[in-house]
Amino acid sequence: MAETPETADQYFERYREIIPDYPAFLEALSQPLPLYFRLNTLKVRDPSPVVEGLSRQGFRVEPVPRVPWFFRVEPREFSLGNTEEYYLGLIYPMTLSSSLPVYALEPRPGELILDLCAAPGSKTTQIAQHTEDQAVIVANDRRLDRITALVANLRRLGIACVITTVYRGEQYPLEVSFDKVLVDAPCSGEGRYRKGYEGELLFQKEGRTNLSGIQKGLIVRAYDLLKPGGILVYSTCTINPEENEAVVDYLLRKRQAELLDWEAPLPSHPGLTEWAGRPFHPHLVKAKRFYAHEIEAVGFFVAKLRRVA
Amino acid sequence: MKGKNRKKLDPQATWPRLIPEEEREEILRYLENRFGIPPEIFNSYEFLATAKNYWLFVRTPHLRTLEKLRIQTAGLLFLRKVSGYLKPTTATLQRFGVYARRGILDLDRYTLDRLRLEKKIPFTCSLEPGYVILRCEGKIWGCGLYLPEKLISYLP
Repeated sequence: MAETPETADQYFERYREIIPDYPAFLEALSQPLPLYFRLNTLKVRDPSPVVEGLSRQGFRVEPVPRVPWFFRVEPREFSLGNTEEYYLGLIYPMTLSSSLPVYALEPRPGELILDLCAAPGSKTTQIAQHTEDQAVIVANDRRLDRITALVANLRRLGIACVITTVYRGEQYPLEVSFDKVLVDAPCSGEGRYRKGYEGELLFQKEGRTNLSGIQKGLIVRAYDLLKPGGILVYSTCTINPEENEAVVDYLLRKRQAELLDWEAPLPSHPGLTEWAGRPFHPHLVKAKRFYAHEIEAVGFFVAKLRRVA
Repeated sequence: MKGKNRKKLDPQATWPRLIPEEEREEILRYLENRFGIPPEIFNSYEFLATAKNYWLFVRTPHLRTLEKLRIQTAGLLFLRKVSGYLKPTTATLQRFGVYARRGILDLDRYTLDRLRLEKKIPFTCSLEPGYVILRCEGKIWGCGLYLPEKLISYLP
């Protein structure tokens, strides 16, 4: 007999205690994810021609309050990838919450920044834009085909401050030390999960990969790649504390890292200090959890740390 | 349009060389003479060279250190050397063409669509033959080649 697929309600039940307004969260899973794009200010400062161009093609475009350069688009089922604005590199379609790790990173011109799991480049290109193409960004991904997609995006957006490399993140060479490192880690992606028509859970299976193990390897190597005093941002698009707080807690036990506060442009909740009977470092309250139904985008987790020694 | 511009990367790619000042001035002179792009636009950038291409990369004191990394690409593919001439890439013109004062060809929508479709069309204009910036309805589309009585598209 075929196994009955797990429903979204059954799957997320494990997080009932930590997700605020749980019924609203479940309700939001029935909606397709909203569509957003970032205006590429390296090419265009005034959004009017872009907004007017997309409107002529049948899109309704609204700026997102509190998040500069981001616009929400309806109907969300259409693809922006076929538009003239995309082809000309004036826009970069990405979910709104994907911008959050870059806000935590606070990149500045002249800094040497590593984006350890960079492809397809939403955060790399956002860092380039924040720094007016004047930071030095090393964008890495372990897969050459994914770096090819990233390079196509860099070319499309006209970015000149990026070097691309293909290394396994956990074994990234230690010859170069960075001012800042971003680890947007591969994760189970629960923040993207949606409900199908029958209530079953829709998601892409990640297989039996030990994600938490990979994430711990990445965060420790990222720390080791920092200059003393350097900044590390760790993020995922999942709810699972084993891939979030547990990974940061692991780093805090292995290395002299300090969790930092940061200002987010979207509503958030503090990181957990306990999960499944296991306590985490009390400073994990400084990490931020973003839930899909509160921000109308993919759910996210972001922690900002400093290398102490 | 998504995904069509991808080119295969070379897994054995090596660092391009930093070009001497004389070669840099030659590039800047070309951009100024042909397109009227002021050289100071590129003050915060270096030019790196591979056998047939020039790359634009942000100026940094860390360049020597970064050369310890095995890279795939460094910076933006900026100019190609084609039969002894310099040809700007479409990426370059889309980003920096806004600073150009000449060498710009304003096309109506019909002509642009036809050029994109046919790649080469009969065309006459008052510009000097050579590479041109293709512009339509105020938006810069990229690079074309104007030769007497014809226009060739280099748009991807």
